[in-house]
Amino acid sequence: MAETAQLSDEFIRQLSAVGEVDVLVGIPTFNNKDTIERVVRAVQIGLTKYFHRDRCVLINPDGGSTDGTPEIFKNASVSDFEIMLTSNPLRTFHRVSAPYHGIPGKETALRTLFVAADLLRAKACAILSPTSLSVTPEWVESLVRPAYRENFDFVAPLYQRQKFDGLLVKGLLSPVVRAAYGARIREPVAGDFGLSGKLARHFLDKNIWDQDMTTFGLEIWMTTTAIVDGFKISESFLGPRIQPAPQFGQDLPGTIRQVVGALFKCLEMHESYWLAHSGSEALPTFGFQYDVALEPLKLSTKTILDNFRSNIDQLVPVLESILTPATLVDIRKMIDLPDKQFRCADELWVKTIYEFAAAYHHSAINRDHLLQALTPLYRARVSSFILENAKAPAAKLEQKFEDLGQEFERQKPYLIDRWTAKAGGDR
Amino acid sequence: MQSNPLWYKDAVIYELHVRAFYDSDGDGAGEFKGLTQKLDYLKDLGVSAVWLLPFYPSPWRDDGYDISDYTSVHSAYGTLDDFKTFLDEAHRRDIRVITELVLNHTSDQHPWFQQARGSRDNPKRDWYVWSETPDRYKDARIIFTDTEQSNWAWDISSKSYYWHRFFSHQPDLNYDNPAVREEMWNVMRFWLEMGVDGLRLDAVPYLVERDGTSCENLPETHDVLKFLRHRLDENFPDKMFLAEANQWPHDVRAYFGSADECHMAFHFPLMPRMFMAIKLEDRKPVVDALDRTPAIPAPCQWGIFLRNHDELTLEMVTMDERDYMYDEFAKDARAKLNLGIRRRLAPLMESDRRRIELLNGLLMSLPGTPIIYYGDEIGMGDNIYLGDRNGVRTPMQWNGGWNAGFSAADPERLYSALISNPLYGYQIVNVESQKRSEHSLLSWMKQLIRVRKSTRVFSRGTMEMLHPLNHRVLAYVREFEGEKILVVSNLSSQAQAAELDLRRWKGTVPIEMFGGNPFPRIGDLLYLLTLGPYHFYWFRLRQL
Repeated sequence: MAETAQLSDEFIRQLSAVGEVDVLVGIPTFNNKDTIERVVRAVQIGLTKYFHRDRCVLINPDGGSTDGTPEIFKNASVSDFEIMLTSNPLRTFHRVSAPYHGIPGKETALRTLFVAADLLRAKACAILSPTSLSVTPEWVESLVRPAYRENFDFVAPLYQRQKFDGLLVKGLLSPVVRAAYGARIREPVAGDFGLSGKLARHFLDKNIWDQDMTTFGLEIWMTTTAIVDGFKISESFLGPRIQPAPQFGQDLPGTIRQVVGALFKCLEMHESYWLAHSGSEALPTFGFQYDVALEPLKLSTKTILDNFRSNIDQLVPVLESILTPATLVDIRKMIDLPDKQFRCADELWVKTIYEFAAAYHHSAINRDHLLQALTPLYRARVSSFILENAKAPAAKLEQKFEDLGQEFERQKPYLIDRWTAKAGGDR
Repeated sequence: MQSNPLWYKDAVIYELHVRAFYDSDGDGAGEFKGLTQKLDYLKDLGVSAVWLLPFYPSPWRDDGYDISDYTSVHSAYGTLDDFKTFLDEAHRRDIRVITELVLNHTSDQHPWFQQARGSRDNPKRDWYVWSETPDRYKDARIIFTDTEQSNWAWDISSKSYYWHRFFSHQPDLNYDNPAVREEMWNVMRFWLEMGVDGLRLDAVPYLVERDGTSCENLPETHDVLKFLRHRLDENFPDKMFLAEANQWPHDVRAYFGSADECHMAFHFPLMPRMFMAIKLEDRKPVVDALDRTPAIPAPCQWGIFLRNHDELTLEMVTMDERDYMYDEFAKDARAKLNLGIRRRLAPLMESDRRRIELLNGLLMSLPGTPIIYYGDEIGMGDNIYLGDRNGVRTPMQWNGGWNAGFSAADPERLYSALISNPLYGYQIVNVESQKRSEHSLLSWMKQLIRVRKSTRVFSRGTMEMLHPLNHRVLAYVREFEGEKILVVSNLSSQAQAAELDLRRWKGTVPIEMFGGNPFPRIGDLLYLLTLGPYHFYWFRLRQL
């Protein structure tokens, strides 16, 4: 069990006043003053509306905000339930806010929440991002109920995203998890998710909390660990997901280094599982998947392509250490394609990712450099996808992602070959 | 009897049914002679007033709440002389007597109604509420939803409809008629002159009807009560009216008037919330109920109770709360009746002694005059297989012998079957066996009542709610004439710690009231208390 000494005395004092709970909702924060009030109000209404008989607590581990986030958390309230709800809460509504010890970051905050869930013997938990502009009270119900009432252990969200939003998730993370682990989980690295108290305790028992990965990729680790360790997983449709002003490419290398690096590391940790696993299964999904017209993200492919072309040549020496010659040739062919005909086919994309994964595993080069080299290729793939689907309706886009997932599955034997081959021996 | 115009504030009231208490003549039902024989038991228990359910002549279609003669005693209970003897003997033991007065309606067998329906020209005709159509007063809800479909009933004799808020055999009196008010005062005077100390006024919100209203809590109803109270104060200044108004506190508040209507009124919303708080293990329901309780005039008092002769009424809760109460306390659907749960205290608490004690601890320490329902002091069970509310009106269990010591009659002749199941049966749960043990519920109740009566803080004091971080702990300070009592209750099934902000009482020493032990002096820090499951403390805060 992870040490609990990271909890402050004040935090423990507040938790002991709460006592045993049925439902724990956690909102880790760090300077989120602009969005936290809305999220807290949504949670309060959600708990009152859907869990008014149950013992609930809302916990805010804060990483040391200097913008007044904890104060806003404590004071955010819904005073007139009669207007908004059919019921008044039967029980005291508990909210606990306390700074946590350790390095500020979401992973430390999550660990704090899991420790709290363990201490309070929570039956089900939901973790919500403090930045979501589209959170509704129904999110709480959707994330908690499968774990609380339906005996699921991990509840991944299913968002309706803006067109071209979440391409890293849909075009890389989700299909790799699908092909490797056999679970068609569409949001494997979400900031909003639900889990059972049993799984929270299981996560705490894992000896990963002092490793570097916890600084970057806890979400993908939780998702894949839940799959590997045999926990029941489901998805819940939450509706639209709108975050404050996302900017494509904003620290894209950093994001890829963190998220894709964590995915590759998980593949290493779990290789005995996924090497022996084939096929994939859809997950039970809760909630009605309604459509809401969302503005597509406006992305300039010209900028992305220019970025790809200007960087790729200087990366060739690095890429030669990662990719097979045939793959590299195919990639270099793309450079000279005119913008409108620029394409990075599914087959090439999957092959590229698998070769990167294997190279990562074999430590062909410094892992940070390897992941950095993936960035321009990812830009190329994104440009290609946008150009190809500029006028495609949402349903067709979903089919494209399904096709891509199947391609990742089809080429899984190639990944296994590369992964299990002697390092550098067959490039 | 010592003179005390505010006796009802300091009282501990015991509610009983004459028929259910003790049968001295072996006819299978209790009567006043039997009750008189058991007054020493009540004296020993420590109660200071007895509230009797209706004992008037009645066809007994609503357990006596259908009165057919207001100034007599049902022959099954004895005679007026028997009642007078009982009254004198109770007074000799410093026990006051509160009787029922059903103001709102009579039995359809009452001579007044018989005359009223006999002829449209009869002077008694206007003593009741009649209509040619059932369309008047459409906004009035139906109270007995399980049995009644309308508040109007067709009278085949006079070929018109009569108004009834309760059962159709209980026609409502017409208080717009001054003669009715005058006659009802005559009834009151009859009993008060005899020596009765207080009258529990049944169903007072419904006395007057007006179109376009709910026909509840109308100003004209309050006018009737003011009229009666004025007469009372003029003639019997030490006597008391207790209003039964199953309404929200802000509506009930009106029944105190400016101390010119009723002296006491039941606090209906608090009762289910005490049960809810213990089941939820959260003080919120009780705190909410008290927060929403308005201040009342100084001479007035709330009557608070855990259980009574009716179902545990859930009219004064939200729909969510009602669903919760049904799910938690009426798992057997037979326990439901109307908008309530027909169960006694002990079965509701699954015979958990700790929870029974905690609820009684709340009853005796929250603001108001506590009312104990007969048999609950020994943890009697109920019988949900009996109809209506009869399951909580079974014979008192005096001992483990023949008919529970209640009656010498053949068991088949008893007015009601005894409770005889292995958990609550009279062989197990009875007065005699509990008298033999210092640790029985009965002995504990005696001690609780004794401690309650050792001070006037509980009966007359103010209350300040404390708000410890631990919501499973309910804490408040009662204060009267400089004396202060701290009450701390753990509503949870697990041990709890609570840090209380008692700095206002810094320097005082908490003296635990049951054992007399001093606790550490209150200082500048939060005062830490640990409480076992369902445990409670009463501390006298003393300057030592």
